[in-house]
Amino acid sequence: MNTSSNLTTPKSANPYAHRPSRSQAIEKGVLSVFRAATYFILICGAIVFGDIVFKGVPTVVNSFKTTADFPYVTNTFLFTAPESLYVFDYDGKSREMGDQEFRAFRATEEAKATAAGMPVPAIKATSYVYSAGGIWPCIVGTVLLVIGSMTIALFLGVCSAVFLNEYAKDGPVVRFIRLAILNLAGVPSIVFGLFGFGLFVLAAPTVGTVPVGEIHLRLWPLNYYLNFGGWGVSLLSGWFTLAFMVLPVVITASEEALKAVPKGFREGSLALGATKWQTIRKNVVPYALPGILTSSILGIARVAGETAPIMFTAAYVVRDKLPWEVEKASDFFFQGVMALPYHIYVVSSKIPQNEYTARVQYGTAFVFLGLVALIATASIILRNNLRGRYKW
Amino acid sequence: MSPDAIPPPPQKPFVIQKARTRFFGLTLDETIRVFFGGNALTAVVVLALITFFLFREGSEFFGQNRESITLYRKAGLEYVDYMRAQQESHTALTRYLFDIRLRAFKQLTQDQGLPPAQANEQLADLDAFAGRYSDTIEPVRGFVSELTDVAVAIKEKYTVNRDAEKERAQFLAAGMTAEAAEVKTKAIDFKAELAPLVGVTPAYVEAANGVAAAIKEMLPSLPKLPASTSGFAERLERFQELNRQYLATFPETQKKLEAWDFQKPVPTLDTFTGFIFGKDWKTASFWQDWYGVVPLFVGSLMVSVIALFMAVPLGVGAAIYINQFASAREQRLVKPAIEFISAIPSVVLGFFGIAVLGQALRALSQIEALSWVPGFPFSERLNALTAGCLLALIAVPTIFTLAEDALNNVPRAFKEASFALGASRMQTILRIIVPASLSGIVSAILLGLGRVIGETMVVLLCAGNRIAIPDFTQGLTAFMQPVHTMTGIIAQEMGEVVRGEIHYRALFMVGLVLFFIALLINFLAQKIVRKYRVSIG
Amino acid sequence: METISTTPTVTVASSSGATPASRSFKVSSAPSDAQPAETLINIENFDFYYGAKQALFDINLKLDDKRVTAFIGPSGCGKSTLLRCLNRMNDLIDGTSVKRGKVTVRGIDINGGDVDPIELRKRVGMVFQKSNPFPKSIYENVIYGLRIQGETNKTRLDEVVEKSLRGAALWDEVKDRLHESGLGLSGGQQQRLCIARTIAVSPEIILMDEPCSALDPIATAKVEELIHDLKKEFTIIIVTHSMQQAARCSDKTAFFYMGKLVEYADTRTIFMNPANPQTEAYVSGRFG
Repeated sequence: MNTSSNLTTPKSANPYAHRPSRSQAIEKGVLSVFRAATYFILICGAIVFGDIVFKGVPTVVNSFKTTADFPYVTNTFLFTAPESLYVFDYDGKSREMGDQEFRAFRATEEAKATAAGMPVPAIKATSYVYSAGGIWPCIVGTVLLVIGSMTIALFLGVCSAVFLNEYAKDGPVVRFIRLAILNLAGVPSIVFGLFGFGLFVLAAPTVGTVPVGEIHLRLWPLNYYLNFGGWGVSLLSGWFTLAFMVLPVVITASEEALKAVPKGFREGSLALGATKWQTIRKNVVPYALPGILTSSILGIARVAGETAPIMFTAAYVVRDKLPWEVEKASDFFFQGVMALPYHIYVVSSKIPQNEYTARVQYGTAFVFLGLVALIATASIILRNNLRGRYKW
Repeated sequence: MSPDAIPPPPQKPFVIQKARTRFFGLTLDETIRVFFGGNALTAVVVLALITFFLFREGSEFFGQNRESITLYRKAGLEYVDYMRAQQESHTALTRYLFDIRLRAFKQLTQDQGLPPAQANEQLADLDAFAGRYSDTIEPVRGFVSELTDVAVAIKEKYTVNRDAEKERAQFLAAGMTAEAAEVKTKAIDFKAELAPLVGVTPAYVEAANGVAAAIKEMLPSLPKLPASTSGFAERLERFQELNRQYLATFPETQKKLEAWDFQKPVPTLDTFTGFIFGKDWKTASFWQDWYGVVPLFVGSLMVSVIALFMAVPLGVGAAIYINQFASAREQRLVKPAIEFISAIPSVVLGFFGIAVLGQALRALSQIEALSWVPGFPFSERLNALTAGCLLALIAVPTIFTLAEDALNNVPRAFKEASFALGASRMQTILRIIVPASLSGIVSAILLGLGRVIGETMVVLLCAGNRIAIPDFTQGLTAFMQPVHTMTGIIAQEMGEVVRGEIHYRALFMVGLVLFFIALLINFLAQKIVRKYRVSIG
Repeated sequence: METISTTPTVTVASSSGATPASRSFKVSSAPSDAQPAETLINIENFDFYYGAKQALFDINLKLDDKRVTAFIGPSGCGKSTLLRCLNRMNDLIDGTSVKRGKVTVRGIDINGGDVDPIELRKRVGMVFQKSNPFPKSIYENVIYGLRIQGETNKTRLDEVVEKSLRGAALWDEVKDRLHESGLGLSGGQQQRLCIARTIAVSPEIILMDEPCSALDPIATAKVEELIHDLKKEFTIIIVTHSMQQAARCSDKTAFFYMGKLVEYADTRTIFMNPANPQTEAYVSGRFG
C-alpha cells in the first residue's frame, strides 16, 4: 500500500487496518488442521483408556464379597489366584463357576444323586483357563519386580550420575560413557530380554557346594564353588534385566536433579575445607534426592509396563504358590513370578475372545493400566511441582 | 561491638601438608571417585555385555546353518528342489490361467448379468485348455514326490546316526563305556544312498523335455475368450510370454541337475547371505529349515512405515500447534496428556488391538462406501495395518515431545525478527521456525522409528504373525496382510526352542540384527542433532 | 565503631581535563601500630592458564600478614583468578594449570605435591561474590566446617557458633533464631553468615571475592566494618570492583590489567599518587 496515496486521500481508512486476504484464510485452515491433529491424538488416547476403564471397572466392582472375619470385605478379583472357568447347563439353568466351586458343586450333586439312588448326573462343562478367580499373584509379582529392579537401578543410576556430574572432567572417557548411555536408551526391550536370558538366566554366577558345568572356580580354601550356571527364570534375573533397561532413564533424571543444585553449595563447602566426598554427601545429594526420586517414578512406570524383558527372564504363565511361600529364604530370589503385563499377554493371546473370557481380560488390563497411570500421573504432577520449587 | 569480643586465638602452626591414608595407592577420596566411576561404567559394560551375549549365543548359528545346508546338499534335498522348482513354476502358471478364468467369469456374471451356467458354457474352451495344461506337468510331479521320499529317508538316517553318536559321546564323557558300546552307529555312505536319486537324472530329463514339448505344442491352441469380455487379450499374451520364459529355463535346470555334486562344499559366505538375504523363515519343517531374516525385516519395516505415516503428521502437527499457537492453558493441559499416552503399556495397547481395533478396522473396511480405498475390504482382523495404527499411538508421544523441544530451542530472536519484518505467523513458522528446527524434528522422527521398530508386544499380539513377504504386486493391499516381525518372532518362538539348537541361535541372530538397527538409528539421530546445534550456534 | 570516622578524606583530582568528575575517596589509615608487617604470601613469577589461554602473566606479589589487601582492576583482568589460586579453588575447574612460578604461604609452596588442598582450604577460607548459605539452619551453616572435620562436642560447637556469629557481627540479629533456615536472612545477613561460617574453622587467611557486589549500601557498610574488625585476627584479601571500597578497607592495593600486575603499593599511594598512568586512569574512572 502506498503511504503517499493515503495522505492525499484522507477518506481512505487507516493503513494499518485489518485486511482480509487469502493468506489469512489459509493460515486459519492450516491452524485448524494442526489443532485437529492435536485433539485427534488425545481422542485416540481417550478411546483406548475409556474402553478399558469402561469394560474393566465392572470386573473389579462386581468382585467385592463380604467375608466372615476381619476385614469383612474382600475383592475376589484383586485378591485371589487365577482359576479355570467352567460353563455348563444344569437343571435347565446356565451356570458359570470357578474351578474350586465347580468341583465342590459336582461333588455335592453327585453325592445327592447317589443318596437318592439316582444315576450320577453327567455335567458337561466347557472350560476356559484363567477366566475365573483373580490376579493377586500377578499384582504381587509386578510389585516385587518393580521394587527390586528400581532399587538396583537407583543405586547404579545415582552413582553414575554423581560421577558424571560431580567428578568427571570432560574427556574421551566421559564422552564414551554418555554415548553408551544414549545408545542403551535406544536398545529395544526384547533385546534386553534376550540379553537377560543369555546372561542372567543361563550364565550368571552362583555359589554352590558342587561344581556345575565346564567352567567353575573353587572358592579356595572354602569348599564352595563359583559356578556359571545362571539364575534360571527368577526374580533376580528379572530385576537385573529391568534395572539395566531403565538405567538410562534414572541416570538422566539424576543428572538433571544434581545439576539443579546450585554451584555455590559445592564451592562454599569446599572452601570450608570439606573433601569432595563430604561435599557431595552432605551438601549436594541430599538436595538433589527429591528430584531424583520424582523423576525416577517415570522409570517405575516403564519397568512396570514392559513385558518383553521379563518374558524369558522372570515371568511364569502360572504359578500356584505366592512368592513368600518358599522353603528357605534364598529360594525367594530364585523363583519366577507371575506378572500383570505377562498375564495380559497370556489371557489376550492364548485364550479365545468371548463373553466368558472378556471379564478377566478387561479386568486385568484395567487394573494394570490403572496402576501404571497412577504412577505416571504422580510422576507428572510431582515433577511439575518440583520445577517450581527448584529455585534456591 | 567491642573489639576485644574475640580473644586472639592461639596461633596454630600453618600445616597444609598431610599424608592421607591410602588403599592400593589411592586416598579415600580417590577410592570413592573410582567407585563412582565404576558405577558410571555400568552403561558401557552393559552395552558390551549385550553385544557379547548376543554374539555368544548367536554366532554358533553360522556353523550350524552351514551344517544344515551341507546336509541339505548331501542328502539330495537340494537336488530334488531343482526339480520341485520346475514343478512349482508350472503350478504358478496354471494358477495364472485360473485367475484369468475367474476374472472373466466375474465379468460375465456380475457386469453382464449372465447366469452362472451360461457363463461357464462360454468359458468351456478355456477350462478344457486349462485342464490339459495343468496335466502336462504330471510326469515331473511323479518324480518329485518319489524322490522327496528318498531324500527325506537319507536325511532321517543321517539324523538318527548323528544323535546316536552324540549319545555315545555323552556316555563316554560320563565314563559309562559299557553303555557307550551299546549305542550302535553307522556312518552314512552318501554316495551309495544317493545312487537311486542321481540315477534317475536321465529319465527325469527325458520327462521334463516331454513336458516342454507338450507345452510348446499346446500353446498355439490357447483359446480366445468370449468376445463380450474385454481386457483379456493382454493377459493371454502375457501368459504366452511367461510360458516362453518358463520353457527357456529348462536347459538350465537340466545343466544344474547334471552338474550337481553332493560333495561340493558350502561356502561360509552362503550361510551369512542366506540369513541376511534369505526370503524364507521356515522352522520345524519335515523337509529343510530356512532362516532368512528378510520376511521378518520386511514385516517390521511395513508396520513401522504405517506407524510413521500416521504418527509423523500427527506428532509434528501437534507439536507445531502446541508450541506456536496454543494458549498457555492449553499447553499445560495437552502436554501432560500426551505424555500420559506414552505411559500406556504396550501390552495393553496390544490387547486393545485384539479386542477392539482389529474388528473395528475390518468392519470399517467392509463398508461399501469405502471400497475405493486401496486394500479395502480385507478379511484378516490382525494385520500390518492394525499393528501400525497402535504403533503410531506409541510413536506419537515420542515424536511430539522431541519435536516440541526442537521448536522450543529456536531462539526467540528469529521469530521476533521475522515478525518485525511484517511476516505473518504462518510465514514465520513455515519459513523460519520449522527450517531452523528441522534437524531436531528429523531426529525426533528417527527416534520415533527406533521406538516403533523395537516394540514387541503390539506386533506380537496384533500383526497377525504370518511369516511371509506380503505380495506387493497388488499395491497397497500388501499393507492389509498379516505379517511377522523381528521382535515378534523372538518373543513368540524363544519359549519353544531347545537351547543350543540352530533355531535358538537364529533367534539370537535376529536379536543382534535388531540391536544393530537400533544402534544405527540412534547414531543417525545423534549425528543430526549435533549438526543442528552447530547451525543454531 | 570509631575506626572509619577518623580516616582523612582525600580528593584525587583528575589529571586530564576530559574527565570532569573528580572523585573523592576515603582512604583508610595505615596500621597505626606501625610495626612492619611480615610477608605471609609470596607469589613469584606466576603464570596461570585456562586450557591454552593464559590468564595470569608473570605475577610477583608479596602479601602482608594481618593486613587487608585489595585486588582491583577491570572485569576479566585476572584478579579473581589469582584469588582463587590462593586456596586452589581453581583445581575444580577443568583444564586449569600453573605453568610457571609458585605461590608460597609461610614458605610452603601451596602447589607442591605434598600439599593437600583440603588442608589448605581449611587454613585459607573464602567468601564468595554471591552469598551461598546452605539450605540448613543458621546454626548448622556455621558449624558445617567443624562437622565435616568430625567435631561433635555440643558445648564446643555452641561456643564456636556464638564466637563466630559475634565475630561476623551477626549474633545480636540472629541469636533468637539460630535454628531457622539460613536462606531466610536478608542479603547482607546471608553474606555475614557466610563470613561467620568461614571464620568458624579459624583459618589464617580469608579470601573475599567481591563480597559486597550483590548488597545494598547499608549492608555493604556493615560488611566493610566487619572486614576492619577481622584484620586483627586474619589476613584478608579482597577482590572488589568498587574503588571506594578498596580505598576504605584495604591497607595495600594491587591493580591488575589484562592478567598482569600493573601496580602494587599502599592504598594511599595507589589512589593519591599512582606511579603508573594506567592505574591513574583507572582510579580516576576513565576506564574500567
